[in-house]
Amino acid sequence: MCALSEGVLSHLSLLEVQARSRKSRLQQQSRVMELKAKVEALKTQREQLKAQIQTHQVWGLMVAECDFRSLLACCNPLFFPALFYLLISSGGYDIIKTRKGKGACVSIATAYEDVFLDTFNLEIDLKPTVKINRHNIPPFIPLNNLAEQNNMQTDLRVFLDTLSQHLNAFAGRKQQLKLVKEKHKSVEVMESNVLCSLLVLLFTVPREKTAVLCTLDYTDHTRCLPTRVHLESEDKQLPDSPQWEKNCSLLMETPVHKALITMKKMGSIV
Amino acid sequence: MSLLKPFSKLPGLNTANILLVESEEQFQQSLADALVEETSVTVNVRLAKSLPLPMENDESRPRIDLVVFIINLTSELSFQSAEASLKYLDPGYFLGKVCFMVTNARNASSPAERLDAVRKLASSLHCPLLFAEDQTPDGVASATERLLTILKVAAGLVPIATALYVSNLTRCTLPLDIDLPSFD
Amino acid sequence: MGSMDNTAKRLLQRLVRRIPSQMLKTTLDKWSRLTAAQRQSMDYTESKWALTEKLLAICEENELTVKHIAELEMIHVIENPNLGMWYVFQLMDPQDDAHSVELTQFKEQFKSHLSELIRHVSIKIKKHTDEAVWIRIAWGDTFSRPNHLKPTYVVHYLQTPYVFLTSPTSKQKPLLSQALVLSTRYQAIKDANLSGRKLTAIRDLLMKQYLQVFPTKFPSPLAERNCVVSNLHIEKEQAGSAANRHQMACEAFGDGILPQLQSAVYKLETKFRDHTNKTMTERDEPFKCVVKFASTNLLESLRHSASSGVASTPVTPLLSSVPLKGKNYFVITDNGPGPSSQMKPSQK
Repeated sequence: MCALSEGVLSHLSLLEVQARSRKSRLQQQSRVMELKAKVEALKTQREQLKAQIQTHQVWGLMVAECDFRSLLACCNPLFFPALFYLLISSGGYDIIKTRKGKGACVSIATAYEDVFLDTFNLEIDLKPTVKINRHNIPPFIPLNNLAEQNNMQTDLRVFLDTLSQHLNAFAGRKQQLKLVKEKHKSVEVMESNVLCSLLVLLFTVPREKTAVLCTLDYTDHTRCLPTRVHLESEDKQLPDSPQWEKNCSLLMETPVHKALITMKKMGSIV
Repeated sequence: MSLLKPFSKLPGLNTANILLVESEEQFQQSLADALVEETSVTVNVRLAKSLPLPMENDESRPRIDLVVFIINLTSELSFQSAEASLKYLDPGYFLGKVCFMVTNARNASSPAERLDAVRKLASSLHCPLLFAEDQTPDGVASATERLLTILKVAAGLVPIATALYVSNLTRCTLPLDIDLPSFD
Repeated sequence: MGSMDNTAKRLLQRLVRRIPSQMLKTTLDKWSRLTAAQRQSMDYTESKWALTEKLLAICEENELTVKHIAELEMIHVIENPNLGMWYVFQLMDPQDDAHSVELTQFKEQFKSHLSELIRHVSIKIKKHTDEAVWIRIAWGDTFSRPNHLKPTYVVHYLQTPYVFLTSPTSKQKPLLSQALVLSTRYQAIKDANLSGRKLTAIRDLLMKQYLQVFPTKFPSPLAERNCVVSNLHIEKEQAGSAANRHQMACEAFGDGILPQLQSAVYKLETKFRDHTNKTMTERDEPFKCVVKFASTNLLESLRHSASSGVASTPVTPLLSSVPLKGKNYFVITDNGPGPSSQMKPSQK
């Protein structure tokens, strides 16, 4: 055995090892180049997607094109006009098919002031009728009412649009309330509700320290701005003063957390 | 029917491959972690809930030297699952390459009839029946040791012994009074 | 005879017994019926009996009545909503103005309606920081004063259809239902067939405040973090089907920590089906039996049984209805879907 290990066989095995390492080094190098090229390609793609997000602003959820096309391909516009229409327009929701086309899952993203908030999902049966299977939408959003009023059976897109409006508006109002609580500690939140459709705030006027009770009614649940602003104060003249009339219209037109900043700057409130 | 065959693939060098089949998928994980610690031999562990094994893994699966059925005596489902899996093994495995391992034999909620049924099953198939304690590290360690002993023989890594020979010594035998009612 | 009558004394005794000594200080502070000096004088390392005596003396000094003690009890219950048994009721058919009912309106309406229905009743309403409206009702009748020792607590979130009740008796239920329906501007109320010990759990279940799993093109990035880097020598043969089962279990019940329900009850009124037992199958009447699943966290147990394969997947609607419909009491008959609480039986 020892004589052989120094002879021909050992020389052959040495050559073999050398050849292998050369090949693997080459392989490694070409592999490295490959990966580097891939990194560059992915970086470019990332920049492109970022640009797309910018243009979509509030409705910023991406829809993968490949799935869209395959879904489009199997969806006969004659039988499912609603779904077909939905697929060819952009939305702010993501939809994927489930259970071999018998169902679909819709993901509605909410955002406010360029911040992504909660995402809500609905699992829908498409056959035999369009019916909502399960969802994670809170009970104070009148889902069944919206489905009925917007003819979910015949026009899925309109229903989803309306639902998305309600959800985004709710998320927006909720976010405003959160910001008011965080950034305006001098303003006391007297009343609010889970739907964020009512907000009662207590302001303090500087110097005199008069209290002003401000009620914001958000009766249009598809909007983030109030439909009615009502002011009450111990000083009966105050709500009618020009400064406070201006504040009133400010609160009607500007999101409350921003309106409060302005009101503080103008010296209306503490 | 896709049978798992004992000799259809080449063995690995200084390697032993063991398949642990357990419906509850609990004890097999701790056994696996202990088995791979073995240094003298490379032990590869495959874990399954039941047989048959998925066809997708057929190509990449190495030759299985020993199949261990882990049965929890407190669960009828565990026993039935193991029993149902037996028909997916090539008969060649039953020449020393299968063994049964039971847990919770001393547990009050394990009916004696179930242990008797397992005994009868193991005995009819000429397989060893091991008792293990799965709750403590010591229990896991001793079960691992015993499995390794059988595994090394089944993988052909012990010079003088073969699986068939050893199984003749380790196979489960039935006590003569197994069918008589017990004192409880 | 001081301001504290027997009922007040008993209520106070019961409260001090129930509230752990460590919590007693904070609860009393929240109550704010004690002066600073009185609060300082309390030594919380003393025995409960001594504390009770001390408090009784202070209450007499401050001329507090049973109504004030009731306040203290309410504070304690609001801070500890997960003790006791809660039953859910659902308001039906909202009127057009149901969505704009606000707190003051609700309070006034509820108080006035309930007082109209029962002569002697003591109602206390408090709004909690999480938007929940808490109502404490002590019931009396035409001849007797309100019994503060057996109050009913009601929790309601405005603009949602759900009402949570503790221990409603059959006499009180219709009166309470009437008052609730009128003050929330709905038209009817029915039993939602959901109950549990933890208010927060049943509330989270109904308000969808837990992590639900939906089919998605983009699996969560967190899934990679969860991948336990196992030994290279250990391989799971059926990892694919295990992952499948886990996905279906999570889609049926949810991911992560689930709201803690303690039980699910199925009342079966179906015909007996077992070919090996002729005597039972020949009977005409349905076989009545009740199946109860109990656990410290029922939903997590059900999810685990589905992902481990004990319960077959896809998960049977009998089990997945618990989170889907937000119910844990079902009546199953052979007639298929009847009134909302009935479902089709399984083939087994």
